Amino acid sequence: MNSTQSPGAAVRIENLDKYYGTFHALRNVNLSVERGEKIVVCGPSGSGKSTMIRCINRLEQHNGGRITVLGTELNDDVGNIDGIRREVGMVFQHFNLFPHMTVLENCMIAPMIVRKRPRAEAEATARRYLEKVRIPEQATKFPGQLSGGQQQRVAIARALCMQPQIMLFDEPTSALDPEMIAEVLDVMVTLASEGMTMICVTHEMGFARRVADRVIFMDGGEIVEEAPPEEFFTSCRNERTRQFLSQVLGH
Amino acid sequence: MISLLRNQKVRNALLQVFYVGSLAALVLAGVVIARRNLAEQGITSGFDFLYKSTGWDVSFSLLPVTANDPYWWFFLIGIINTLFLGSIGLLLATVVGTVVGLARTSSNELARLLGRTYVDIFRNIPLILQAFFWYAIITHLPTPRAAHEAWGMLLTSRGLYLPAPNVGGVAMALAILPLFAAVALPVWLGRTSRLSRPVGERLVIQLAGIAAALACAVLILIVGRLPDAPLLDFPALQGLNLKGGLRIPPEFSALAVAIAIYGGSYIAEIVRGGFKAVGKGQVEAALSLGLSPWRVFTLVKLPLALRAMLPILANQYVWLIKATTMGIAVGFTDFFMIVALTINHSGQTLEAIGILMAGFLTINLSLAAVFNRINKAIALKGNQLRG
Ligand SMILES: Nc1ncnc2c1ncn2[C@@H]1O[C@H](COP(=O)(O)OP(=O)(O)OP(=O)(O)O)[C@@H](O)[C@H]1O
Ligand SMILES: [Mg+2]
Repeated sequence: MNSTQSPGAAVRIENLDKYYGTFHALRNVNLSVERGEKIVVCGPSGSGKSTMIRCINRLEQHNGGRITVLGTELNDDVGNIDGIRREVGMVFQHFNLFPHMTVLENCMIAPMIVRKRPRAEAEATARRYLEKVRIPEQATKFPGQLSGGQQQRVAIARALCMQPQIMLFDEPTSALDPEMIAEVLDVMVTLASEGMTMICVTHEMGFARRVADRVIFMDGGEIVEEAPPEEFFTSCRNERTRQFLSQVLGH
Repeated sequence: MISLLRNQKVRNALLQVFYVGSLAALVLAGVVIARRNLAEQGITSGFDFLYKSTGWDVSFSLLPVTANDPYWWFFLIGIINTLFLGSIGLLLATVVGTVVGLARTSSNELARLLGRTYVDIFRNIPLILQAFFWYAIITHLPTPRAAHEAWGMLLTSRGLYLPAPNVGGVAMALAILPLFAAVALPVWLGRTSRLSRPVGERLVIQLAGIAAALACAVLILIVGRLPDAPLLDFPALQGLNLKGGLRIPPEFSALAVAIAIYGGSYIAEIVRGGFKAVGKGQVEAALSLGLSPWRVFTLVKLPLALRAMLPILANQYVWLIKATTMGIAVGFTDFFMIVALTINHSGQTLEAIGILMAGFLTINLSLAAVFNRINKAIALKGNQLRG
C-alpha cells in the first residue's frame, strides 16, 4: 500500500477491521486520501465497498484500527462524529431523499438546523446548487414527482448545500436507467473538476478513467489493488482484478 | 334485442336494477311484517315517543337532567356520554400506545421487553374483563371520608371528584370553540408557514396561537361564570358525602382506564409498525447530513411514521368508539345503555335501534371523514417506488 502519511490527509484509514457478528467484513484496510483527491472504489458484490465508505461517516461502527477525517479521529466522541458528518457529504444508491419535504426543503433543512444558517441564506445556497445540478425548475416539487436521475441530482445538491469538504458516493448510478446515468455522472465530473475530495464506489469505468486519481479494487473485505487508472486498466497484477475487469468491461 | 343484452354496459345496468330492486323488496317486506307484529302487541310505531318524558333517571350526565325530560334529551345525553368516554378513552389510549410503541422500537433491551410484555398481556385479555377488573378496583377505593386528595381532586370508591368551573351551559359550550382552535391553530400555522419561516420562529408563532386561544377560552369562562360564585367549585366533605365539583363515577373511570390500557396495546403495535415502515435510507441520509438523533426523530422518523400509521389508527379509533358500548356491562349510561333502557321502558325497539345505529354511523363516519382529510393533506406527493 502506498498510503502517504502527510498530516494534511482528508481521510486516513489505518488497519481497519469491521465485523458483522462473527462475519469479518473488512480486513486490515489501509487507505489515505489527500485533499482534492478522487478515489474510485470497485469490486465484486459483497466485497465490503459500502461497508468501508460507510465507516468514514460512522453509519457503520468499526471494530479495529483508526479512521481520521480532516485531522479528527472518528471514535465514540459524539462531538467528533457530529463534526465529521458536517464536513462529509454522502450520496446513496437509492437517493434517500426526504419524501415529505420539497426539493428545496430537502436542501435547506440541514444547513438551517446543523449550520444554523438563516433561512434566506440557506435558500439562496440551495437554489445555487440546484442550478448547478441543472434542475432549478424542480425546486418546489416533491421527490416522488421526479425521475430517478433528477432525484439523485437533488441528493447531490442536498449534500453539497452543507458545503462539505469530502463527498462519499455509494454506487450513485446503479439504480438508474442508462440515459439518467449520464446526467448524474456529468454532475459528478463537474464537481471533481472543481477540486472536491471524492470517494466513489462505482462500476462506471469510463468515469474512473476520466476523473480518478487512484482506483481501488476490493475483494473479500480487503483492498487487493490500488493504482492510477491507466495502470489499473492496462497492467493490473492481481488475478481477481483481471477477472473482475473482464466482467465489467467485457461487453 | 339479443345484441343489446350482450352489451357490457347494458348488462351491468340491468344487474344493478335487479340488485337494488330485490333489496328494496326485502326491506319493504321487513317493515310490513314488523308493523303488523307490533300492531298485534298494541305498540304504535313511529317517533312520537321521543317527546314523551321518560320517567326514569340516569346516573351520569354532563347536562342537567330529570325524570321528566323527554326521550330525545336522554338520547342526546347518551351520545354526549359516549363521546365523552370515547374522547377521553382514545386520548389516554393514544398516550399509552405511543409510550409503549416507542419502547418497543427503542434500542434499549429492557424497554423492548417491557413493551412486549405489556402488549402480550393486555391485548389478549378481553376488554369486558378488563372493564370489570378496573371497576372492582375502583369501587374498593377508600370511602369519601378517607379520600385520597391531590390538587383539589378526590379519589374515592364513589368516584373521582374534580374541581368544576361554576359556569353556565352556554358559556361552557362557547369555551369549547377556542379550545378546539388551540389544537387546530398550530397545525394550520405550521403548514402555512412551513416554507416562509425558520423552525424556531414558527414554534414561537404556534405557541402564541395556542396561548391566544386558551386565553380566549378562559375569558369566556370568566364572563359566563354564575353570579356570586367562585370560578372553580372544589369538592368537599359534607356529612358523610362529598359535595360540589364534578363527580366522575367509577363506571366511567373503569371504562376509560380499560379502553386506555386495552386500546393502548393495539395502538402500541400500530405505532411500532409505523416506525418500522420508515426507510432506513432516509434515516441514514439525515444522520449523514449531521442532524442530531433528536432532529432525525422529529424531522424524518416521526413525520414519516405518522403517515404510515394514520389510516390504521383511524380504523382503531372507530373500533374503540364502538367498544364504549361495553359501558352497559358496568352500568355506565352511554348511548347504547340509554337505547337499551328505552327499549325496556317504551317498547319502541325498532325505532330505538334505528336511532342507535344512525348515531354510531354518524359518529364513526365523521371520524373517518376527518382522518381521510388529514391523510389526504399529508399524503406523500408523487410515486414512492424506488430503484
Ligand atoms: N448489516 C449487516 N449485517 C450483516 N452482514 C452485513 C451487513 N451489511 C453488510 N454485510 C455483509 O458484509 C459484506 C460486505 O457488504 P457490503 O455492503 O460492504 O458489500 P459491497 O461491496 O458494498 O457490495 P455491493 O456491491 O453488493 O453493494 C457482505 O458479505 C454483506 O453480506
Ligand atoms: Mg454496496
